[in-house]
Amino acid sequence: MILDLHTHSEASEDSRAPVETYLKWLTRKRDVLPVDGIVLTEHRQWNPNADYRELEDQYGFLILRGAEVETDYGHILLYGVNDAIAQRFDFANVRLNAQEVVSEVARLGGIAVPCHPGRPTIGLCEHYATKPPLEGVVAIEALNGGSRKGENERVQELIDRYHYRSFGGSDSHLVSFVGICATEFDHDIRNGDDLVRALLTGGYRPVDFRDRLRQGT
Amino acid sequence: MTGLFEHIDVGHELQPLRLTLSSEQVRAYAQAANMPGGRFFSDEAARQEGLPGQIVPGNMSMALFSRLLAESLPGMSIKHLSATFRAPVRPGQPIVVHGVVIEKHCTDRGDLVECDLVVENADGERWVTGTATVQLAAGPTATAREP
Repeated sequence: MILDLHTHSEASEDSRAPVETYLKWLTRKRDVLPVDGIVLTEHRQWNPNADYRELEDQYGFLILRGAEVETDYGHILLYGVNDAIAQRFDFANVRLNAQEVVSEVARLGGIAVPCHPGRPTIGLCEHYATKPPLEGVVAIEALNGGSRKGENERVQELIDRYHYRSFGGSDSHLVSFVGICATEFDHDIRNGDDLVRALLTGGYRPVDFRDRLRQGT
Repeated sequence: MTGLFEHIDVGHELQPLRLTLSSEQVRAYAQAANMPGGRFFSDEAARQEGLPGQIVPGNMSMALFSRLLAESLPGMSIKHLSATFRAPVRPGQPIVVHGVVIEKHCTDRGDLVECDLVVENADGERWVTGTATVQLAAGPTATAREP
């Protein structure tokens, strides 16, 4: 099963992508973007009332929700967000304590994983150069569809050194970028709990569809 | 008889613009657009503002989006244009401005298409991203330029 674990819809202030248009695009591009679902990871927010079940039924894609928060070690994706996690942290705070986020989200049933680690200022690599490594990180976004040249390559060093698992996501802010990078799982994911369990236990890898997309258009 | 709307489909790629803006072009644009910021006029003034050198005004990048749409979809009119500035666009560096049709609607306001738009450098780094809603010209004469 293949999921794009990092997408932004128009709920994020810097995205212009409606969720339904993402699904229409993925339907149309299915031969080159074989993605089974997406995870919406809006910037600094959690809307407990958002419900995409109707769109899931209409288009046949899994739609899960997470969040992208900002910490003193850069940006971190949260999966398996529940009421307890949403109450524990102010997602709008751009100076969250990363160690607290990683430890507490895990304790409360979710998982916190650093994204675009190779990016200057907001990525883990730069922070690890001057600060001790975070405890409890199990995976990092090794492949990010919005990264600049060299940023994804920097991440391998962290993976080798700390034995992190790696996953991928498009980090799409526009419809036409959804699914270009994603994560392939050995087992089916049906809901947020499955996703958290899978990310913790392994059996997944980043997949890059950019070449296929270029050749297929 | 069919018009441009029927001929272009979701996924249609707009004819990319490949260009390198000169320092003089950027200066001339900033002057004509009455944008007095020193960062648009010289490297020296830009550095005094903490930038690496002269930068292209955001409006000029949006103008490139407009040009891309006008050249690729003759006779269209822009109903909505948005941009997100992810990194400064600098004169003297080759850029590609490209876009793709992501949705089509027949509405009571006319035949509309939605486009994703990007300004990127030679390495494919996205410096400016945007979206547009455009109304296509009616009638059989307009023809989309193929990439």
